[in-house]
Amino acid sequence: MDGAGSEAASSAVEVTGLSKAFGARNVLHDINLAIPKGGFVSIVGRSGCGKSTLLRLLVGLDAPSSGRVDAGGAQARLVFQEPRLLPWASVGANVAVGLGRAPTASDAAVVQETLSLVGLADRAKAWPSTLSGGQRQRVALARALVSHPGFLALDEPFGALDALTRLDMQSLLETVWRRQGFTAVLVTHDVAEAVALGDRVVLIDDGRIALDVPVAVERPRMHGDPRLAAIEAQVLQRLFQA
Amino acid sequence: MTRFRGLGDAVLTALVPLGLLAGWQVASMTGALPARILPAPTAVFDAALELSASGALWENLAVSAARAMTGLVIGGGIGFVLGLVSGLSRLGERLLDPTLQMVRNVPHLALIPLVIIWFGVEEEARIFLVALGVFFPIYLNTHHGVRTVDPQLIEMARIYGMRGLRLFSRVILPGALPSILVGLRFALGVMWLTLIVAETIAASSGIGHMAMAAREFMRTDVIMLSILIYAALGKLADSATRFLERRWLSWNAAYAGGR
Ligand SMILES: Nc1ncnc2c1ncn2[C@@H]1O[C@H](COP(=O)(O)OP(=O)(O)OP(=O)(O)O)[C@@H](O)[C@H]1O
Ligand SMILES: [Mg+2]
Repeated sequence: MDGAGSEAASSAVEVTGLSKAFGARNVLHDINLAIPKGGFVSIVGRSGCGKSTLLRLLVGLDAPSSGRVDAGGAQARLVFQEPRLLPWASVGANVAVGLGRAPTASDAAVVQETLSLVGLADRAKAWPSTLSGGQRQRVALARALVSHPGFLALDEPFGALDALTRLDMQSLLETVWRRQGFTAVLVTHDVAEAVALGDRVVLIDDGRIALDVPVAVERPRMHGDPRLAAIEAQVLQRLFQA
Repeated sequence: MTRFRGLGDAVLTALVPLGLLAGWQVASMTGALPARILPAPTAVFDAALELSASGALWENLAVSAARAMTGLVIGGGIGFVLGLVSGLSRLGERLLDPTLQMVRNVPHLALIPLVIIWFGVEEEARIFLVALGVFFPIYLNTHHGVRTVDPQLIEMARIYGMRGLRLFSRVILPGALPSILVGLRFALGVMWLTLIVAETIAASSGIGHMAMAAREFMRTDVIMLSILIYAALGKLADSATRFLERRWLSWNAAYAGGR
């Protein structure tokens, strides 16, 4: 929180020696990760390797067994795989939940602005049950963004969507991230998605960081860029090597 | 075209009841159906006119409705509060639920002899029976509704800082409401049934009493009228819950359709 350090050097999220055990079961061992302010890190790994656990530690939902997470006091928000919208609240009211307090009349404008950001400006009064799966997940994204968090963690946010909607959502997320400048961590099963969006792709295997590759491709990135394909191949190879 | 078909549908639906009614009337007029077994539909209608003109019908109706509502508010209110307590707190559930689940197997009408000993044939006896009858459906469905609110939604709400009263009013109560309304609909059925029994056995006013008094003079037309009034009251209560469902559960596609 102290403004003394230089902007570029400051890490929005700094993870040092992080471990997590459930009872006798060690899920994460000695994770070290530094994510620069405004950076975008993708995390991939086999099912059960500890990705969700890591994310919950990053946003402070769970306490680590040892080590520490320093998000520089930034407000953290988490987007789940399911939209988890209140079915009895309108789209606008669901976004207002993200304010983290009882909404006041003056919040209507910021809610509306955030809905425009995700392309749902005209649906504020609709019930969630009348939206498509992709639209619901956009509402969930708007709910996470409405309070302008400094750090956004996403746990397989597009996992339940069809392939085309997924591509739409990826470009929406990239647009929103570039506009708002928060630090992002995206957990995904889809290596192509991880490579397309991340500044870096981190592979977790058996609770440790097995690979940490930069994706040095300028944005906006083109689908089918051979440099992305090469990185995807590298990650997949390491993933199946175990 | 569609309006015409709608009209045709209405005629089709009304065909059987109207036919039965006409057959009943003819059977009464020809003497095939004696009035002491079943009065003619026109006789029931005449009885309705007579009793509403004298004011007896409205008096009895008001008495019955007041009993039903008092019992519903007392029994339903207690059931709702205890359902919330045992749904929201583990301790509350441990203390209340096993006992209530056991007691609910006792048919409340079996208590009539005891209730008469406790309260005599006074107003309290009838209200007590109604309250007891509506208590269980409301309790059970409130408890169940609160318990089955999607835990993922509760986790989400907690992460976004909702606690206490706000968590309750924004997430838990709306989530439990469909189940609570199912309980209310059950309770209304039990309410009228209990009242019919209680007023028929022991009362000096009310629709049930009106029917029992008519029996002494073989006024089958008045008895028939009472039965029809009970049916209408039951239907009215059911429509009222449907109205609440459409109003409060309009977010739920399953209820929004009816409009
Ligand atoms: N609360 C908990 N108590 C006990 N064990 C847990 C708990 N949460 C997670 N685990 C265990 O930790 C391991 C990692 O779980 P985690 O949910 O982080 O995996 P994941 O990488 O997100 O998997 P997936 O890709 O399937 O979502 C699993 O073996 C899981 O059983
Ligand atoms: Mg997971």
